[in-house]
Amino acid sequence: MADKPQTDEPIAALTPQPIGKPIEYERMLWHARFSPDGQWLVAVGQDAKIVRWTVADPTEENGTGLTQGESLTGHNGWICGLAFHPKLSHLYTVDSWGQLACYPYSQPETSEPLWNHQSAHEGWIRTIAIHPTGTRVATGGNDGVVRIWSTVDGAPVSHWAHGSKVMSLAFTPDGKSLVSGDLFGIIRQWDLDTGKSIRELSAVPLYQKHYNQECGGVRRLVFSPQGDRLAATGQKEPKGGFATGTPCVIVFDWATGDVLREMVVGDQNDGFAYDAMFHSSGNVVACSSAFPRKGPFWLWHPESEQALLIDKKLSNGLSLSLHPDGRRLALLTSNAPNGNGRGLKDGEYPGGRSRIVLMQLST
Amino acid sequence: MSRSPLCRPHEHRLSRRHFMGAGAATLGFGNMLRPVVAEDLRDKDRQVLCIWLDGGMSQLESWDPKPNTQFGGPFRAIPTSVPGIHVSELLPKTAQQMHHLAILRSVHTQDNSHSAGVARINRGDPKERGVVYPYLGSAVAKLMGPTKTGLPPYVWVKPGSGGFKTQDAGFLGPSYGALALGDAKPPANLLPHPSLTSADYQLRQELRTRFNERFGKRRFNNEMAADTSVYDIAQTLMRRMDLFDESKVPAKDVVRYGSHELGRHLLMGRRLIEAGVRFVKVNSYHWDSHGDHFNSSDCLHRQFDQPFAALIEDLADRSLLDNVLVIVLSEFGRTPRINSHCGRDHWPEAWSVAMAGCGIQRGAVVGATNALGTFVEGPEHDIGHLFHTWFQALGIPKEHMEYINQDQPLPVAHDDFSAISELLS
Repeated sequence: MADKPQTDEPIAALTPQPIGKPIEYERMLWHARFSPDGQWLVAVGQDAKIVRWTVADPTEENGTGLTQGESLTGHNGWICGLAFHPKLSHLYTVDSWGQLACYPYSQPETSEPLWNHQSAHEGWIRTIAIHPTGTRVATGGNDGVVRIWSTVDGAPVSHWAHGSKVMSLAFTPDGKSLVSGDLFGIIRQWDLDTGKSIRELSAVPLYQKHYNQECGGVRRLVFSPQGDRLAATGQKEPKGGFATGTPCVIVFDWATGDVLREMVVGDQNDGFAYDAMFHSSGNVVACSSAFPRKGPFWLWHPESEQALLIDKKLSNGLSLSLHPDGRRLALLTSNAPNGNGRGLKDGEYPGGRSRIVLMQLST
Repeated sequence: MSRSPLCRPHEHRLSRRHFMGAGAATLGFGNMLRPVVAEDLRDKDRQVLCIWLDGGMSQLESWDPKPNTQFGGPFRAIPTSVPGIHVSELLPKTAQQMHHLAILRSVHTQDNSHSAGVARINRGDPKERGVVYPYLGSAVAKLMGPTKTGLPPYVWVKPGSGGFKTQDAGFLGPSYGALALGDAKPPANLLPHPSLTSADYQLRQELRTRFNERFGKRRFNNEMAADTSVYDIAQTLMRRMDLFDESKVPAKDVVRYGSHELGRHLLMGRRLIEAGVRFVKVNSYHWDSHGDHFNSSDCLHRQFDQPFAALIEDLADRSLLDNVLVIVLSEFGRTPRINSHCGRDHWPEAWSVAMAGCGIQRGAVVGATNALGTFVEGPEHDIGHLFHTWFQALGIPKEHMEYINQDQPLPVAHDDFSAISELLS
């Protein structure tokens, strides 16, 4: 780990306060994200639907200001990633059957995709990222390939062999590079002009060979808005038969590639840190998933020794999205029963559900 | 005639006329009441290779996929070599061998815990009769004996340590335990020290035999018999050290089966079958994917797919599937419900077992689950049905399906169940 960064500035406290009642959804979702114009919240997950809510100011009747609209369909399996065009009302989505699609998302009625590739990858596409200018979209998956596509018509632009399962992608804020994170904790920096891999960072603690299973991996990569830091999320040291460990976020100094802070929060077997984001206060906000009240939501400034907030009531977090106003945060959590055997409820066999908690962030 | 005053379960299913007439005429009382004689079956040379995936393989990511449904998970179903039959995309090589396989999709068993489930499934879950029943391998070792090769009848290829594992034998006694080959290696210190001449070695064996005989004269001889049989096994293996010589394995086989643990162990399993071991069990551990199940499955199921497909292909190419019964088994399946760890838990309610080989239909799917894969639709089949099916496939006569334990007759499988006829060829 690099020398601890020093600052004379006091670290800003950041307080999340729930807004209204959580939004319930009857199936398990993986991601919920605000659109760049802040007018929509879109979620995707296990039912292969693109679920949409319009976003308005909270009222007495509607405590969150969210109103569910019609879902978009056309995917199969699980939808595992989504990315918004920064200017156009276009949404790019990928699924576990290998499909990449582009949808218009901002009209109330449902729509066919503007374009799609049923077999953009061989099998499970794990991640998608969009270039800051909106000209290119990148996808990566279990086939170990990174593919670059034109956002206009979906034309393939280039593809690079990462070599193992690609689980996360992010463009650098300056738009010059793409980074890809894999199962083995390797983060590659790709030069977009040459298509060459120009640097490797090690997030190897996020990979584990657990008996005969390959576990872990870099589940999400996210840059700070200034592009000076990169966070990689995942887990460390799985135990027992669960193949799940302790949630972990590794923050790198992007210029040097050194690790600034390894943020390990949670108990053994709490599972993965599934998502993280840099707040303008400098804090890293992260969520992790496990059984209820175990995988916490947390805030941690990379220049602090310890987490500033660890909230187990906001457990089971799968994704985070900051509203463009910088004050609202959507935390997607899962609410899935666990346990062996039938576990019937009122004679029915229940599946997992999701909950979106809208929060006000104040400093 | 048996000295036992007790009646046998199968007698209750016969009419008196049948019993006194046709049954007695063709078999004679003596034969009917005797336990099955292993010698009767020895010439048939039927063998078993059982693959035990410890912890529980997910039926939804293997034999009974439900793509695009609530509990179907992220993976696709793919067509197989049998039109109309699909399996998970995690088994692409196995899919090409489907014409040799039979899948039972209606397995419904009783335990959702490992501690009880492992033993219950391995023992065939017979009715409680106050004895500890043998595992399938020990049962076959007892019922069929070793093949003519004289190799130990029950060999267990497993990760970790080896040794002679007597616990599988239950009331049959330790002689019917498993010779475990830890990491497919021969037992430690199998060969005599090089400084020992063959004459000295022979003298030592004779001395050991005499001591054992004298020691065993006034004692219960189950343990003595086991001790003697272990020495006999060791003698046999010493003559077959070629089985452990990896330089004799063609390089292309190593590639086809894979260099990972299960690949190496299944290749050893095939070689043991070819050498003439009656019952080979190959274990793989850590299939208990309560967390991050779909990434685990993507890893584990592919580790299974490659060597399993190679095994079936090899057995078929060598016409060994006519004589070898292959079984893929776990203690249960996995829950359709996906938990908060993105895992699947234990599910005995509706799961699948795959098999191939002697006496078994080829290219068949028997039984079904409902559209969501949550429960069996139609008749449910317990492990007892499968034990009857497998014993019948191995040619063990139905009327001889019993052990005698200290004069007590015991059915070899659950006496309320019978073979699944649709699975039998």
